[in-house]
Amino acid sequence: MKFVIAVFSPGHAPSSRRALLFAQAALAGGHEIVRLFFYQDGVHSASANVVTPQDENDVPAHWREFVTAHQLDAVVCIAAALRRGVLNDEEANRYQRPAANLPVPWELSGLGQLHEAAQSADRLVCFGGD
Amino acid sequence: MSTLHVISRSPFGDNRLASCLRLLGPHDGLLLCGDAVYALNPGSVTVAGLNTLGPRLYALAEDLEARAISDTGATAVDYPAFVELSLNYDKVNSWL
Repeated sequence: MKFVIAVFSPGHAPSSRRALLFAQAALAGGHEIVRLFFYQDGVHSASANVVTPQDENDVPAHWREFVTAHQLDAVVCIAAALRRGVLNDEEANRYQRPAANLPVPWELSGLGQLHEAAQSADRLVCFGGD
Repeated sequence: MSTLHVISRSPFGDNRLASCLRLLGPHDGLLLCGDAVYALNPGSVTVAGLNTLGPRLYALAEDLEARAISDTGATAVDYPAFVELSLNYDKVNSWL
């Protein structure tokens, strides 16, 4: 079956870890993830500048490794990302900001990508809050 | 059309659980995770209402264990079971 997983919370929220474990279990169960969509505070998980305390689970790093290892389509909402200072090279240049912090494997795009993916998937599962 | 409702916030901090129970259809399921599993704590005012759901009530096993909540009327599920549960219902509605 095909899943879309939307993450609304930052990496330090328990729900982001829950989304990651759900996504890992979905792939392990033989299912497909057609898209991961990071929205609202979820965009912070894509920032390369997140420094997680050493005694805590580095969920943003686990997300990056998971997306890379499985070559997943990981979309970060561009409007949510810009207002939170999560920028790729193109946007940093466009708005004349000093640095970019959104490297590969992440892709900046619009909310339409969530809608489009939800139409093509069997299930949309959202994770947010605590 | 059946829906799996997912709640992750404590029932003692807001009205999500109460609203969800009011809207829950006869074929819908409810999965509690995170602090929402405190609703299953024996002796809580929320237990009686939840137990009327019978087999349609689920809780994430790791969150029950992390809070030392046992002997509940909910079916404990791990992540592979969560994935399958989401497929047993027509859609998943997370109370964000």
